[in-house]
Amino acid sequence: MSNFSRRSFIKIAGAAGAATALGSLAYAPRARAAGGHVVVIGGGFGGASCAKYLRRADSGIKVTLIEKQKEFITCPFSNLVLGGLKQMDDITHKFDTLQKKYGVDVVHDTVTEIDPAGKSVKLKSGKSIKYDRLVVSPGISLKWGSIEGYDEKAAEIMPHAWKAGAQTVLLRKQLEAMKDGGVVVMASPPNPFRCPPGPYERASMIAHYLKKHKPKSKILILDAKDKFSKQGLFQAGWQQHYPGMIEWVAGAKGGVVKAVDTKKMIVDALDKHKADVANVIPAQAAGKIAIKAGLADDKGWCPVDPKTFESQKHPGIHVIGDASIAGAMPKSGFAASSQGKICAAAIVAMMRGKTIADVSYVNTCYSIVAPKHGISVAAVYRVTDKGIVAVQGAGGVSPADAPAAFREEEYKYTYGWYDSITADIWG
Amino acid sequence: MSISSRAVLLSLGAAGLLVVASAQAADAPVSAAQAANMAVNCFSCHGPEGRSPGSIPSLQQLTAVNIVALMKDFRSGKRPSTVMGRHAKGYTDAEVEALAGYIAGLKK
Repeated sequence: MSNFSRRSFIKIAGAAGAATALGSLAYAPRARAAGGHVVVIGGGFGGASCAKYLRRADSGIKVTLIEKQKEFITCPFSNLVLGGLKQMDDITHKFDTLQKKYGVDVVHDTVTEIDPAGKSVKLKSGKSIKYDRLVVSPGISLKWGSIEGYDEKAAEIMPHAWKAGAQTVLLRKQLEAMKDGGVVVMASPPNPFRCPPGPYERASMIAHYLKKHKPKSKILILDAKDKFSKQGLFQAGWQQHYPGMIEWVAGAKGGVVKAVDTKKMIVDALDKHKADVANVIPAQAAGKIAIKAGLADDKGWCPVDPKTFESQKHPGIHVIGDASIAGAMPKSGFAASSQGKICAAAIVAMMRGKTIADVSYVNTCYSIVAPKHGISVAAVYRVTDKGIVAVQGAGGVSPADAPAAFREEEYKYTYGWYDSITADIWG
Repeated sequence: MSISSRAVLLSLGAAGLLVVASAQAADAPVSAAQAANMAVNCFSCHGPEGRSPGSIPSLQQLTAVNIVALMKDFRSGKRPSTVMGRHAKGYTDAEVEALAGYIAGLKK
């Protein structure tokens, strides 16, 4: 409990309205605590948020977070590393605050098996951990083979960089090594996929780097789709900052990538495109452990209750973040964090035998087109009989005709958002 | 909804928090748990417990009355914004008041 004083617990528990008998709360919070053990798989935006908010709401709940990596590297802002606006250290976060301030037991291991009937998970180290409720936040897996010739080995030559880390560093190094006048070919994946504006922010950030250092170079985006997130804003920004540098090919116009040849550096869509650097982002599905545990449907994503994110396949297990089917919500770090918080509140209520309160989710995705040029898309979500839907009349993208000062403010807020959400999750 | 709007006031009060007297406005009443479910989303941009470490304004110094006024002005467009107008349009008056009460009641 260390820094989290009893006094602040009382305030927070009350404020969270965490459905405690009101009169006795101030006198015996621990006696009112739900108890029980929640295991969270995955220390990213969804899982780490859920773990923290479980403990924030109720320090009587034991929370174990299982994460393979000792440090978490965020996908958000990894495009800025490619563009040279950020370094890897800037996007790397530790689990110390979750452990020390919030009392989450962080275990660096990999879950190899989930036993829904026995309510336990098996770890690579051989250990088993029992749980009362399980939260699965595994992110995505890449569908190797969805593009012929593209597998884990090929990704060492044509990086996807769609999981931040070594792949991000590899792609950055390839861009640095490329000659001026080179062609960067990007393959953008079919829906649904992690971070809908991500490939286009990436093209922007690569263009920013090339404009500065290799201005004769080109970027060719071969897209499996016919339209994309914030399309008008991105394309206007490209015209403004990188005229003639970025070409986007829609799926219907020959953009669908069928195969790659890593030896000849060919990306094969309707035409064969020779690449100096190839960034191939393949189709995606829920993280492997979710699929292995039978939490996913036949399309590879996990159906859940929209108010609690409890699995529709296995009761007692919640699936949050990119792996889940979350109605109108995109697969973003912001959305995963929002789901993690709401899922935590639902779990606390369930463990106390209380009714689940009405929920509200939020998403805001900022993208950087160029220095001093940020754009955003936002939405507020509620649950109706149609599942999670965006509130009509709210949300939407930045205005198309906004002045430069507006873009500059959103650029500034993009950094502010990153500082805040990472502080909120990893401290 | 398990907790009445009366319970919102009670539970906020029990925790020694600032109570918004007008929380029982015309719209559907908002429970304390529901207010928390809305307000925790604010922290993703405005920082943990509303304390922003970066360029986005903190919420810590705002009173509930301030927050309600700001949200309504963002929503109407009276106060220009980049993204807050788009967010504010997602909440009813009663919801704005409930989440303002929650945020204003956080530990300073």
